[in-house]
Amino acid sequence: MSETLHGLPDKVIFCKKCCISNQRPSTKREFSKKTTKDTETVGFGDDGICDTCKWFEFKKTIDWNEREKQLQALCDKFRRNDGTYDVIVPSSGGKDSFYVAHQLKHKYGMNPLTVTWAPHQYTQIGWDNFQSMIDAGFDNVLVTPNGQVHRVLTKLAFENLVNPFQPFIIGQKNVAPRAALQYGVQLIMYGENQAEAHNKFDENLSPLMDISHFCKKENEDLYFGGVHINDLKNHGIEDKDMFLYKPLEESDIRKAGIEVHFYSFYKNWSPQENYYYAMEHSGFKSNPDGRSEGTYTKFASLDDKIDGQHYYTMFIKFGQGRAMNDVNRDIRDGFISREEGIELINKYDGEFPSKYFQEVLDYMGITAERYWEVIDKARSPHLWEKVDGEWRLLHKVH
Amino acid sequence: MVSGDCCTKYIRIDPSGMKRVIARLDIKGNKLVKGIHLEGWRYLPDSPNDYCNKYYLDGIDEIIYVDAVASLYNRDSLKEIIKKTTDNVFVPLTVGGGIRTIEDAIEILRSGADKVAICSQAVKTPEIISEVASRFGNQCMVLSIQAKKNKNGSYSVWYDVAREKTEIDVIEWAVRGEEAGAGEILLTGIDHEGLEKGMDLELIKKVSEAVSIPVIASGGCGSSTHFADAVNSGADAVAVAKSLHYGKMNIKSLKSELGKLGIDIRK
Repeated sequence: MSETLHGLPDKVIFCKKCCISNQRPSTKREFSKKTTKDTETVGFGDDGICDTCKWFEFKKTIDWNEREKQLQALCDKFRRNDGTYDVIVPSSGGKDSFYVAHQLKHKYGMNPLTVTWAPHQYTQIGWDNFQSMIDAGFDNVLVTPNGQVHRVLTKLAFENLVNPFQPFIIGQKNVAPRAALQYGVQLIMYGENQAEAHNKFDENLSPLMDISHFCKKENEDLYFGGVHINDLKNHGIEDKDMFLYKPLEESDIRKAGIEVHFYSFYKNWSPQENYYYAMEHSGFKSNPDGRSEGTYTKFASLDDKIDGQHYYTMFIKFGQGRAMNDVNRDIRDGFISREEGIELINKYDGEFPSKYFQEVLDYMGITAERYWEVIDKARSPHLWEKVDGEWRLLHKVH
Repeated sequence: MVSGDCCTKYIRIDPSGMKRVIARLDIKGNKLVKGIHLEGWRYLPDSPNDYCNKYYLDGIDEIIYVDAVASLYNRDSLKEIIKKTTDNVFVPLTVGGGIRTIEDAIEILRSGADKVAICSQAVKTPEIISEVASRFGNQCMVLSIQAKKNKNGSYSVWYDVAREKTEIDVIEWAVRGEEAGAGEILLTGIDHEGLEKGMDLELIKKVSEAVSIPVIASGGCGSSTHFADAVNSGADAVAVAKSLHYGKMNIKSLKSELGKLGIDIRK
């Protein structure tokens, strides 16, 4: 039995329905991650089917008319007619958040404020789509963190957690509740519950996000990029620099009566259908370069130059990259068969995101040599072998 | 061995100069799909053959099948659909997607297609254009071009279902295609495709002016006006997809409206 890194199960299993493996981590609260080991992985049954596919089977039994009524009741409860905002939609300007904001405004008569946590580095298409969303008729608050601090946190998250995307994830979860407090809005509507993709089955049964993703726990030690908050000063970051990253007070959220819901609880969520919706109702554009590096799709995760690294580091740590991610979704949504998915994974998964590589290195302030040192150290021996100087995955979906 | 005369039962270019209405069906597996900008695989409820039969009975002039995923999966699955089509549809049938070799073209023609449309493989090995043309005649070789506008106003050739970009200029590529023996060009404007908001008229005009072979315009036709605009920009035929599949456009009324717009169309 070979050694495993990142706390991963040593035996690799691929789901018989989609292509996900038991190495795929679930969403976990970010503030406590000290090392790459602080992950849990997607659950599998004895039948070799992942929890996510089981969820999608269950989804077929959902009465969407009933959920529609629940959504209408929710909107009725929070809708305001005094000119103030009544719902916050965390938005990148991408297809998914556009769909949510547009429907809430035009179908349900809400007055949404879209709130955006800036990407590390905007791509041109990301910026254009963001502007298109605003042009399509939405107020927006763009929150951009201190560039110096964000760079350092990104570097630390890459070096310690092999996840350069962590500062974005943290801010993305904090930004909407903070804006809700600031603007006196009580309803926040996220798009997809991540449980739909890789969390525990039961998490899909509630329309609400667990507020611990953005709230403090009592007597908790906070970690950012794997570094204790008190030690960030060693990296030139002071406590006052961390306002946007620190979790909120739970008592403030409860006192304000803020509820955080997932739109995917109320609607039969499908990224591909959201793409059509955005294309038909806004100036949304897909990737001008064609398919995104590492996958076959053209419409997802387009706004940040570091997006490709987010998926590539997952490919290194867990053996499943961007194409695998898209394939699993498309299989579960019924757009492709498992056999087609395997073809796409074999063709595209793990393709190195070279387009913005140098810019990402410059952003983090590291050399390519250092980058590969971190990457190669993150290859778990139970997933990777080196043959004739080339790294190869030991387990491929079949 | 399939000989060149297998494809000459139909007159390719109507000597009267009449414009053609073509139904384009993008196929994935055994299903009809329709994306936007050649992205996405939303299924339509009935089989491709059902749609095809309906279009034939409604008076369509030609049919184009495109295997929308062949280049992604390195496969082709159209033969059965083609064979079924030839049982009761008697208009010229063009088939594209996944034709990588002369043998693939033979298979497609043997199954009952009248012409083959080649896109990705023509980009990778341009000699396939002249191979197909010299073997089966120019009328059999349709050069399929996926075109996307660049910021500087020029158009580039894309392939693999608009997933891969090339530095090849569309106009130059069309001219090269004609010189190599293509008898027709299927010109898809990626940025207009799937939205039914009108076609890329500038693209159609530029390509039509550059070549003397017929240009089939594809991408964005959602009304008789869009169709007429494309013809007035130089298209010899227009391929319609989404509006037909979703029943928003009817071939008989389209033809009647086109007549009123002064477009010389087959009745």
